[in-house]
Parts: sequence; structure tokens; C-alpha cells
Amino acid sequence: MRLPPSLLTLITDSRFLDHDTGCDHPEIPARLQIILAALKQNDSFAGLRFENSRPAERHWLQEVHDESWLFRFEEAVLSGKTSIDHTDNQICYDSYEVAALAAGAGLAAIDLLEQGQTEQAFCLVRPPGHHAERVRPFGFCFLNNCVVAARYWQQRYGRKRLVVFDFDAHHGNGIQSAFEREADSLYVSIHEHPSFSYPGTGYSDEQGFGDGRGSILNLPLSPGAGDEQLLALLNGQVAEKIGQWQPDAMIVAAGFDGHRADEMSGLRYSTGLYEKIGQSVRRWSNLHCGGRLLSILEGGYELTVLGESVEAYVQGLLSQ
Amino acid sequence: MYISRYMIKEPLTVTPDMLLPEARRLLTENNFRHLPVVDRDGRLVGMITDRDLRSAYPSSMLAESERLLAYEQVEKAVVADIMSVDCVGLTPESTLDDALLLFDRDRMGALPVLEDGRVVGIFSSRDLLAAYKELFGIGEKGSVLLGIDDNGQKGFMTRIVTLLEQHEIPFTRLLRIYDAEHGNHRIYLRLNTFKIAQVVNLLREAGINTVV
Repeated sequence: MRLPPSLLTLITDSRFLDHDTGCDHPEIPARLQIILAALKQNDSFAGLRFENSRPAERHWLQEVHDESWLFRFEEAVLSGKTSIDHTDNQICYDSYEVAALAAGAGLAAIDLLEQGQTEQAFCLVRPPGHHAERVRPFGFCFLNNCVVAARYWQQRYGRKRLVVFDFDAHHGNGIQSAFEREADSLYVSIHEHPSFSYPGTGYSDEQGFGDGRGSILNLPLSPGAGDEQLLALLNGQVAEKIGQWQPDAMIVAAGFDGHRADEMSGLRYSTGLYEKIGQSVRRWSNLHCGGRLLSILEGGYELTVLGESVEAYVQGLLSQ
Repeated sequence: MYISRYMIKEPLTVTPDMLLPEARRLLTENNFRHLPVVDRDGRLVGMITDRDLRSAYPSSMLAESERLLAYEQVEKAVVADIMSVDCVGLTPESTLDDALLLFDRDRMGALPVLEDGRVVGIFSSRDLLAAYKELFGIGEKGSVLLGIDDNGQKGFMTRIVTLLEQHEIPFTRLLRIYDAEHGNHRIYLRLNTFKIAQVVNLLREAGINTVV
């Protein structure tokens, strides 16, 4: 029997908790546990559907990453190394498999969306992905979950013209690297100014090269910027760019570390702001790309506000 | 810090007897703004810029007949007629600071690099920017700049470095700059880690305050 389509499907997996980053690391399994507990406790989300992830097939990973990096990553975890390339990038024996499962969440979600089984989807995954580059990890990220999903949507379902909107407090250098020479893939990011913030990229003059000129829109905010500044960009340049672009599908790199309580950035967003962001992306996807909207979790490290922030975002996604 | 590492080696040059249309074509096709002018032995005799050429060509505001007449004259003119001859040059041993001071003083866009009078390179303000960008790590993936209030205590820099090294926190640049407005020093630290909050807390616990 075919179930009626769900409004919002959450793709997650208990295996995501197996990526062990050791002690004293901000990117920990409790992040996901807190988010899931918050969503499950909220009575108004009773209609949410939960689905398990599936590992991304290797050839989809290779659309984004060099095989040399996949081998190097796999070998590092199997040989018992505790970090790769930098002590920020903590790994354990299971990290490769968990990362491939995180990268596959977008694929599982896109199948559901394209089969009409859900109106929209949100992948609650870890490790995050937007800093991961073609041949190396960066900032807790190993495989670029958003870009793997983008390639799948573009190639498997022919949704060529695609936008990734990233509201994580940090610039998604890996997404930019993947898109900056392509005419059909747009990356829009609002983040803390790179002069003050990791990863030190995402200046407004980085706009893409060659055919991809204009396919990157970086909107840096000064440290201390909050709801007002973000909303001005969201309702101004971001809305305008996405409207002009007319995408076939939209992916949101949803990071919650711009919250004022999160020490990972100097931004000062409120919890309520995430509801407004959710409403906006939902509205844009309905206006411009037939409602094809996929959100993928990136950062967000302050456990006291992470649950409520994601709740607020989901509330926004479900708005009519 | 020597410009020889950052200059364009063996640049395109022209001779004084080259006709202006040819020089203009070379500048346009290669998207250059400056060309060193050399004699048969490769010795610098002048510089020609896109601005020199724009001034030489007739204005589009002129009447058609006047413009054609002026145009005919320009087409016959050679590089030697419009090049600047009073040129300052750098040497491969010039430093980035030498170049910066010269650019700042003379408002130059590019300077020839000379060895025994022969042109061995060209160094532009864009090359200078790229060199400083690299030196300061601007736009370097995986890094972040942190400001620190210098409390003026003896051994303050040592304490910062020791603390970072003890905790295996990678960093690449440490600058101490006098802030004339506030009459104190400001320290800038380029860290290579995502775990900035932990570094800020570690410094704070050691009595070292960070600032934006």
C-alpha cells in the first residue's frame, strides 16, 4: 500500500553516532541525539516521517572526490589513525563508512522526493560536509554531502540547474570549489566574514571563473551581526539571485553555528531566526523549482540551543 | 621577500621602431597594461602603457574627418614617439618593500626589472598584491585571523607561542602592530584550526584577551 506523501521526511541513521571524534571535539554524536530528541518531543511535528540513510555508491562519491582521497581516507581509518591531515579532522575505525552513509542520505532523500513520496526532506547527518574538498578533508568534513547530492540530482534525475544555499556560519569552501567553474550550479552562502572566521575563504569578490562566473554569491557578515543583517540579505540579494537563477532544485546546507550562544562563530542569530530561514527556503522552492527542496545538516555545536534551533527551522519548512 | 620570486620573468618587450597599431594589438591581445621597450641588446630604453596609447589615438568626440586624419598620423607613428623614457627600474635583488615604496611614491602600475641594464622581468602592483596575499595567508583555506590585546607585559609573545605549541595548535603568522590611535600594540595571529572557541578559551584562561 502506498502511503500518502509526507510533508517532510527526515533521513537519519543510528550509525551516524559511530563517528567518534574523541574528547574535546565540538563535532560529537550528542549533536544528533539532541536534535532528534527535540524533534520527537514536539507534538506539532507528529506527522514527520523518519527514514534510514543508505551508503552513497562509490561512483557517486567519485563524481565529487578523487579516488586517491577515498583510498587515503579509507586506509587511514582502517589503519587506526585518529586524525587525518589535521588534528581538527578526528577519525575512528568506522568514520569512512559513516561518512559514506552521511553522503548517501541526500541520495535516499532525492529518490523519495522524485518518487513523490515526500514533499521535502531534511538529512540529519554527521560528519558534516561543506568544507570537504575534492582531494582532502577540512574542518571536521570528509565527504561533501551537499555536492554528492547535487551531482545525483543533476545526473540521475536531470535537474541540471541547481542551487545550494548555505546558512552555516562558515563558508562552504568545498561546495564553492566544486561549483565555481560551472554555469548550471549556483552556490549562495551567508557566513561570518573570512577575515575573522574559519576557513578564511568566501570573500564577496569570489564569484566563479570562466563559464561559472556569477555562479558563486558570497555574502559575508561582520562579527556581531545578527537577525537584522541576515534577514536583509535573505530578503534582498539571496531572494533576488535565486529568483533570477530559476533553479530546477534547491539544496540547503543547514548549519546552526551562527546562533548567538554558539562559540564557533561571532554571529549573533536568535533561535527564532531559523524559522524565518525555513519559511524563506520553502517559499523559494515552491516559487522557483516545483517545491524540490532538500536540506542537509552542516554545523551547529552549542548543545543547549542546537535542538531548538533545528526545531525552529523545521517549523519554518512546514509553514504554508 | 625578493621580487625575483614573484616577478614575470622574460616579459614580452617591444622595440622603439614598432608601429603603434602593432603595440596596441600586443597589449590588447595579451591583456597587458605595460610593455618595456628595449634596444637590440635587450637594454631598457623606455616603457609604453595602455594609457600612453589611449592618449595617442584620436578622441571619439572629434568630427569624423578630423578623426580620420589624426588616425592616419597615429598609424604611422612608432613606439619611440610616445614611450616614457624617464623610467625607474627594479633589480632581481629588490625586495617587495622596495617595490611597494616605489609604487606608492610614483603611482606606477608596473616596473621593469633590470640586470646590467637588460630587462629580465616585469613586476606589477598586481604581482605585489599577490605576493603580500601569500605572505599574510589571506584567502588561505583552513585558516582564521585572531586579534589579541597586547598587555605590554614582558615575554607576552613568548607566552602566546608557548601556549599554542604546548597544545599543538597550528598557527602560521604572528604580527605585532603598534596602534597609534589607542597607544598600544595589537597582536594578530593566523591560526590553522576550526576549533577557534577552544583556542579563545585557552588564551583567556591564561589571561590573554582576544579582540575582533
